[in-house]
Amino acid sequence: MARFLLLFCGVLGSLFAIEMLKPVQAALIQPFTGLLASLSTAIILPFDDNVIAQGRILRDATTGFAVSIEAGCNGVEAAIVLIAGIVAFPASLSHKALAIFAGFFFVQALNIVRIISLFYLGQWNYTVFEWFHLYLWPVLIMLDVLVVFAIYLQWLGKQHSEAEPA
Amino acid sequence: MLMRRQFVLTLILLPITFGIWYAAGTLFAAPAVWLCDFFLSNVYSEIVDTAGLQGVEMTVRMQFGENEGQFLPATQAGNQIALQTNTRLVSYSIAFYAALLLASNLQDGIYKFCVGLFWLWVIMAFGLASIVGKDLLLMVGGPFLNSARVPPGDFLALAYQFNVLLMPTLAPVCLWFWQLRGSPLWEALAGDIRRASASAKT
Repeated sequence: MARFLLLFCGVLGSLFAIEMLKPVQAALIQPFTGLLASLSTAIILPFDDNVIAQGRILRDATTGFAVSIEAGCNGVEAAIVLIAGIVAFPASLSHKALAIFAGFFFVQALNIVRIISLFYLGQWNYTVFEWFHLYLWPVLIMLDVLVVFAIYLQWLGKQHSEAEPA
Repeated sequence: MLMRRQFVLTLILLPITFGIWYAAGTLFAAPAVWLCDFFLSNVYSEIVDTAGLQGVEMTVRMQFGENEGQFLPATQAGNQIALQTNTRLVSYSIAFYAALLLASNLQDGIYKFCVGLFWLWVIMAFGLASIVGKDLLLMVGGPFLNSARVPPGDFLALAYQFNVLLMPTLAPVCLWFWQLRGSPLWEALAGDIRRASASAKT
């Protein structure tokens, strides 16, 4: 337990510091955030052709309402927490790599739902938008991280059960 | 099965705990603001005069004011700069923590909630101090960074990201996980962890 906690905190702090570095922001985080905006637009477009993505900004061409995906809204921090948990927990490298890949996908999938929901909530009611943006969605994203990590632990356990002779 | 029950119950309880948290207003934020005031006005006494609650906003009065675009000591400037911070940006961690803990239906739940609440207030105080640090960095810049005991700008940015964007959701999970020990859910989780650890060793 102590080893897990130490490793978890170490990896979490290191990844967080690396994410904040200007070259990492410029080369990785900002383009990734732009990609999230483009992906969100691509998902919305078949249902609503008024949406435009401009870099990290998602805009409604009719109302002019726009949301900008900033640090803390791109799901990278939540993914870092999950990665730190997976790296800190003892497992084979292939299991860890697979879990990080799948976990990142699940966190980002929910994050895209969050971006799209906020885009429409903001156009409907700004108070509700603020509530969801500042308080509820961060909690739901962290719950998502927790669920993914719990599923990972169960999956690791099952792998062991299957590997053991009957 | 227990884990699924935990997550479903947490989702059901979230609107209730968030409703209570919102209705309680300043009640859940006040101890964190007192701690923040104690920390800032003692460690950064040359910068911060006092911090207090006004509704759900924490108002921090500075030791300096502004005159014709220049930052001067409050006595020379004839005014005092005050920063306002929305305490809900960090206090929603209490609503999340309460939902997690209630969903687990632990023994001595109220005692555990009180212990967790204490730690959340300490973490919230650091979160509020980090917001003040970030605001001063953006508003005052150089003169603030050159003051005694003020950490570098990069550290302030990192502290803000960590204490405000991450800790309000991470701290409740860590506290809840710590307090789970001995519960049926913990036993189920420990079983998974033992099997998973054994899988890593083979």
